Amino acid sequence: MWILYHVAIAYLILNVTHAEIINKNVERTLDLTSQLAKTTYKISVEDTAGKALKDYVFVVKEPNLSFISVKDGFSNKVKYEEKKGLANDQTEFKLTFASVSPQQNLVIETVSTKNILPHPAEIKQNDKQLVKFVGGLYLYSKYSTNTQKTNVMLSSSNILSHTQAKPYSVSSNKLAFGPYENIAPLSEDELVIHYENQSPFLTVNSLDRSIEVSHWGNIAVKESIEMTHTGAKLKGSFSRYDFQKDGRSGQSAVKSYKTYLPASASGVYYRDTNGNISTSNMHFMRDFVDLELRPRFPLFGGWKTQYTLGYNVPSYEYLFSSGNNYVLKMHLIDHIHDNMSIEKAVVTVILPEGSANIELITPYSIKRHQNDLIYTYLDTVGRPVITFSKQNLVENHISEFTLKYTFSKVSLLQEPLLVIGFIYMIFIFTIVLLRLDFSITYHSHKE
Amino acid sequence: MNRSSRILNSKVAGYSSLITFAVLLIAWIAGFSSRLFAVIRFESIIHEFDPWFNYRATAYMVQHGWYKFLNWFDERAWYPLGRIVGGTVYPGLMITSGSIHYILHVLNIPVHIRDICVFLAPVFSGLTSISTYLLTKELWSPGAGLFAASFIAIVPGYISRSVAGSYDNEGIAIFALQFTYFLWVRSVKTGSVFWSAGAAISYFYMVSAWGGYVFIINLIPLHVFVLLIMGRYSPRLLTSYSTFYILGLLFSMQIPFVGFQPIRTSEHMAAMGVFVLLMAVAVLRHLQSVLSRNEFKKLFIVGGLLAAAIVFVAVVGLTMMGVVAPWSGRFYSLWDTGYAKIHIPIIASVSEHQPTTWFSFFFDLHILVCAFPVGLWYCIKQINDERVFVVLYAISAVYFAGVMVRLMLTLTPVVCMLAGVAFSGLLDVFLQEDASKRTGSVMNSVSETDDLDESLEKKSLYDKAGKLRHRTKHDPTHEGGMSSNLKSIVILAVLMILMMFAVHCTWVTSNAYSSPSIVLAFHNSQDGSRNILDDFREAYYWLSQNTADDARIMSWWDYGYQIAGMANRTTLVDNNTWNNSHIALVGKAMSSTEEKSYSIMTSLDVDYVLVIFGGVIGYSGDDINKFLWMVRIAEGEHPKDIKESDFFTDRGEFRVDAEGAPALLNCLMYKLSYYRFGDLKLDYRGPSGYDRTRNAVIGNKDFDLTYLEEAYTTEHWLVRIYRVKKPYEFNRPSLKIKDRLIPPTNFISRKNLKRRKGLIRNRPTVVKGKRSLK
Repeated sequence: MWILYHVAIAYLILNVTHAEIINKNVERTLDLTSQLAKTTYKISVEDTAGKALKDYVFVVKEPNLSFISVKDGFSNKVKYEEKKGLANDQTEFKLTFASVSPQQNLVIETVSTKNILPHPAEIKQNDKQLVKFVGGLYLYSKYSTNTQKTNVMLSSSNILSHTQAKPYSVSSNKLAFGPYENIAPLSEDELVIHYENQSPFLTVNSLDRSIEVSHWGNIAVKESIEMTHTGAKLKGSFSRYDFQKDGRSGQSAVKSYKTYLPASASGVYYRDTNGNISTSNMHFMRDFVDLELRPRFPLFGGWKTQYTLGYNVPSYEYLFSSGNNYVLKMHLIDHIHDNMSIEKAVVTVILPEGSANIELITPYSIKRHQNDLIYTYLDTVGRPVITFSKQNLVENHISEFTLKYTFSKVSLLQEPLLVIGFIYMIFIFTIVLLRLDFSITYHSHKE
Repeated sequence: MNRSSRILNSKVAGYSSLITFAVLLIAWIAGFSSRLFAVIRFESIIHEFDPWFNYRATAYMVQHGWYKFLNWFDERAWYPLGRIVGGTVYPGLMITSGSIHYILHVLNIPVHIRDICVFLAPVFSGLTSISTYLLTKELWSPGAGLFAASFIAIVPGYISRSVAGSYDNEGIAIFALQFTYFLWVRSVKTGSVFWSAGAAISYFYMVSAWGGYVFIINLIPLHVFVLLIMGRYSPRLLTSYSTFYILGLLFSMQIPFVGFQPIRTSEHMAAMGVFVLLMAVAVLRHLQSVLSRNEFKKLFIVGGLLAAAIVFVAVVGLTMMGVVAPWSGRFYSLWDTGYAKIHIPIIASVSEHQPTTWFSFFFDLHILVCAFPVGLWYCIKQINDERVFVVLYAISAVYFAGVMVRLMLTLTPVVCMLAGVAFSGLLDVFLQEDASKRTGSVMNSVSETDDLDESLEKKSLYDKAGKLRHRTKHDPTHEGGMSSNLKSIVILAVLMILMMFAVHCTWVTSNAYSSPSIVLAFHNSQDGSRNILDDFREAYYWLSQNTADDARIMSWWDYGYQIAGMANRTTLVDNNTWNNSHIALVGKAMSSTEEKSYSIMTSLDVDYVLVIFGGVIGYSGDDINKFLWMVRIAEGEHPKDIKESDFFTDRGEFRVDAEGAPALLNCLMYKLSYYRFGDLKLDYRGPSGYDRTRNAVIGNKDFDLTYLEEAYTTEHWLVRIYRVKKPYEFNRPSLKIKDRLIPPTNFISRKNLKRRKGLIRNRPTVVKGKRSLK
């Protein structure tokens, strides 16, 4: 078996030109304080042959990779090509450097979801939520690594067990592994940490975000959210008495969370199919609105809830025009709660009636759905609807999309004229009707 | 009609129609807005219990279409029986809001069906006041009509059933009732087929909307009957009643829920009898004109007696044979107020079926209850065909309102009308002088000034008094038959009373009738802030989100509609109360011990049990307070197992503390309400387990549940939900399938090659297709 392995490595070494590329130093920081696994890699790459480095292949071994950003030593973005669907859930990124130099520094940030799993999967109400993280002890790389270190940040100092790969050190909620020297390419070893994590494990199963643009000065945003507590499931009975009396009871349950809305948001509503959810607080901050949402019931592990959150923002902050050309710049998704994880988001933009030449530019790749028409108040030909979706989103995905379209200003008058015309017709009709006599016999009109 | 009557007025006098229009519009707006307290204080939400079913049915109809709705079999109610909804509802309400929804959506106005349902009753209150105006105008005068319209717009007796969110049949039925009566009076007056056909159509709408249509189909025949007795027969009456009856009969039988009842039940027999009688009278009249006086007398006596005998025998015979159903229990309770208490506890358990107290007459009608006998007296004094109708209407409605709180609703319109007549008559007398001086026609100007007063009253309460005082200053110049000072004093007094009426109406509406009852609000005594108790929706939403879609919830029937509407889960019993024994079974489960009720619950496939418990916050409408009704209803069906007397102490008290009856302290309802409540201390000094609703420390504190476990309890403990455990969860530990393997031992089979097969002696030979004989 291992002969084969050596042959493969030999093949790699012989075959590929990057035989001379090595990871000189790797510093990895794993942030496991929330439900997301956030990793920051600081890699200094060197071509030992002294040639200029052109490209570099970075492999992410974690499943459910949600977000990646790659920067070089000068905080400039590095272009990359993504290759998905490889074996073992891994994703390859082929980076192309802008500057030419045999030495490059890389700062790579990744965020992945669903890699911190509750263990045990079911707990009683008064139990603590324990989670287990399984990852790689070394940087999984196609190149050999000289030295590497891994720092892990945990949510609490209560660590039940972790991989004992020397050298390592533990200090309260921090773990440090390494330095490990001279790691061969493609070598793997498991890093397992079992620890207490009471931070909210909330997953947004689906987010329906609709943005309705009105040229009368208002943009209405409505978000329908389905949410599940994906932490350790509640086992056995729920006890309101314990929950009220004992502060330690149900710590992993989510009683409330904060949503940040744009500063200019007004007319906020928070409701579900049974009407308004009366348990929310709103605080106006300088540059955002802090909305403290309490679901109707505390969310224990495995419990879910649904709600709709909506608000209005003035259009002058997001809609720009010159002549008949308009540009809408809005957040593709917005903040729902800290360290959120969205399984699927569908964004719908409803433009005013008569908009044409629609062009959508998004900050990252999305799945575009078919355009549609919607008919609401006083519509005749329908409003164009642009829909697109994306899966597995995190907070880092909050960024703006741009939507360009043309709209003739005259057609703004169409709807008022429609109303005026309609009322005018009613009056005309009444005037005519009252002057007609439909009776078949003569009535004196006196009783 | 309204329009044509307005034109009519405008031909006679210029401003009259404008004032009529303005007053009716203001009455509409005032009526609409005074019904919005609940929406403003809380939100646009469906109230109480029955409206939730109506809303759910409407939403179903809007989603699936009319024919699907008619055939709707609701398997989420009355588990495991289900309910044929399409055939057991009055669909008028759903059709009304469904068609409004349809029209708005055709016009691309995307209003949610819930908002239509919430605002339907307030909108219809405006139509009610218009039809009251028309009816009173037919009966008395336009001035009285405007008074009546303004009264009914804001009178609490009607608002109690038609606030925004109270999406119930009564909301549209009162409009249909008044409009039918208007068309009927019109048709009696004119003898025109057109109006009586209109009355029949309006009656059809009423039948489709509310079970109270029986009131119409008995009152109109009564009217005809009394007219006949009074010797007021006329061909107009014959035309209008025969047209109305035949068309109305045919129309009413089109409603699936009514079906053949109009020709088969006793409630409808009066109408048929009067129809026959009217025909007989018409024939006799005809004969009278043909035959001589003597012959006719003979024929009349013999024929009359014979006919009466035949009719009586036929009715009795048909009733005995079961073709005509005897009167239903709810109807008996109208005649004998003690009937329900003895025979049908389920009807007696509903608070709105209790006899009305004197207090509530004044509370709901205020000054009108004093003014309406005056109007009645006016009508009797100047009697004519249509005033006979209103007199009968008043008398019967007063009787029914005295029997049941709920029927206060049918009294309210007639009280408004007659009070309108009374006030109009009063002002006729006391405003006559300066009216006649100012314009030519007395009649018209009276109505005009009335209108003015009314519209002023609607606009602002306090300005009006000042303005009127200003006007009365002119009076001394015109000396009439009565001292002008006296007149102004009387008018001021009347206006004062009307003002107080308006204030009272607003106060009652805002305080008594504008609570959605699913959201409770209370004022914090410490800082005066308003807190909202949203426990019902919290629990229902928890059920809808965190239980299996087909989970079956057992609760007392009061909450059935709400669970179905808000949680969308299967219930065992609900507010429809059509199956008494099923309700009794739930009552039995609630009042038995945990063990016994577990067997009932498993036989009914119950997954969750929901109880309402108000002991923490002092909510008095909880299940423990309703518990005796459960026991009574259960006892009615299971007298061997449940005895009401077991739940009382030796001294005949119902108490939950340590002295309470042991049957009570160990029954399921008690345990579910008070589970772990014994540990709870509500304040630092008080004892633990102190029930605020019943002001007692509970008697049974330390107990555990074997067969159920707490699944959810809301923030203020108002709603408690328990999960019924599966047998393996308490009986023996469950084994997963993979664990069920027998561990391998060092057992070696004795079977060798020779003895590999086993043999069964006397093995039965099976012949396919034949049943084996034993």
